Amino acid sequence: MQNYGSNNDLDEKGQVMTDQPKIKVKFEPKPKPSACPICTIEYYQKFFDIEQRDVYMRVRCSLLSWKPEFQQCVAKNPDLWGPLWISTTIIFILFAGGNLSRFLLEEDKKHFQYEYNYMYVAVFLVYAMAFVIPIILGFIMKYILKSELGVFDVVCMYGYSLSVYIFVLILCIIPYNEAQWFFLMSGLANSTIFLLVNLWDFMKKSKPTLMIAIPIIVFNVALILCFKFYFFRLIYAVDD
Amino acid sequence: MTDNQQVPFGSGMFQGQAKFVDYAHMNQQDVQMNTLDEPVLDTLLRDINMILYKLSYVIIPRMKETQGRKLRNWDLWGPLLLSLLLAMTLGINSNQSSDSIFGTIFIIMWGGSAVITVNAKLLGGQVSFFQSVCVLGYCVFPINIAAVLITFLQSYLGFFLRLIIVGAAFLWSTFSSLSFMSSMMNEEKKVISVYPIFLFYMFLSWFCIFI
Repeated sequence: MQNYGSNNDLDEKGQVMTDQPKIKVKFEPKPKPSACPICTIEYYQKFFDIEQRDVYMRVRCSLLSWKPEFQQCVAKNPDLWGPLWISTTIIFILFAGGNLSRFLLEEDKKHFQYEYNYMYVAVFLVYAMAFVIPIILGFIMKYILKSELGVFDVVCMYGYSLSVYIFVLILCIIPYNEAQWFFLMSGLANSTIFLLVNLWDFMKKSKPTLMIAIPIIVFNVALILCFKFYFFRLIYAVDD
Repeated sequence: MTDNQQVPFGSGMFQGQAKFVDYAHMNQQDVQMNTLDEPVLDTLLRDINMILYKLSYVIIPRMKETQGRKLRNWDLWGPLLLSLLLAMTLGINSNQSSDSIFGTIFIIMWGGSAVITVNAKLLGGQVSFFQSVCVLGYCVFPINIAAVLITFLQSYLGFFLRLIIVGAAFLWSTFSSLSFMSSMMNEEKKVISVYPIFLFYMFLSWFCIFI
């Protein structure tokens, strides 16, 4: 009988050993080291390791902005789900709500002209605020001011700080000037206080680190001015 | 090797059955269907049948996972036709910049489907990329119906009626895709993977209200 192969060795007496071979060969494909680790999808996998309960807790932390609990909430696990989908929700609300607000004020409802530019401006504005600015600030903080916070921690914080604007901008659809300013101001206060309170540990170290508060406040104020003067600029005219 | 031959191997034995395939003398049933040789009408009808079959799944959303098994054979013809139809319907009706709205709808639909699928994969779902894009594309069908209805009945429908029609279409779309998508995810991650789908269909439906 021809033996086509053998997985088992012969022992000293020449008999076939029927035990399992002691060395197991594990066949695992080795991950290819990529030239650009940030460009691969696998790099971002660790930023989506959260559950809906975590998202709820983080949004709650950001809405109760005066308590410096965000770093404990995040617990060294910054996520990108929050910044991405909160900013996309805000874009939708700006686009839909801005047009709805104009529609409510239009006398000639049959010939309402949709303002499609709202979407392009909203995309530019919100993604700049949620990603570009925190990445720049994060780099400055980490490499120039030597903070322990990573770039993605700052991105995560900025993303969740925008969560209050979801509620504020829905309320801004009401086309009354005072109401809109009130909601926007309270949104500004909440968002800025959240950022400053959670970065206070880092900022109180020295004068240069305290200066980081200035761009944070300036960019937030610029954001709500853009909201008010571009998306919600029409209000009921008051007859003198 | 003939039928039922036993071949020793190591400490055991391979037992198998072998079938001899005679390419020279094959009969009609044994030849695998060569789709390049069939008439064009057959190919088109088969594809159209597949699209209609999948659309029937969208129209009557079935919550049982086992019944959705045929949806696993993804195709992108259906989503392409539906996105073209939606973009054209909305483009015809918009008074200004109809070509930019066409492009916008296209980008939102395909880009949105891709982003939602990548989101689901990053959250750890076992979902195949093209299957998910296919399902999301097909589930735009109710929004298409709403857009076409609003186009034809424009003068008769006030704002609130349009809101109701578009709202119904949005709920229908979301519900259709829900059974497929949420079955792929863990219990704790269902809401955060379904929320982007909800936002996506809301975005698309909103375009239909003001045409």
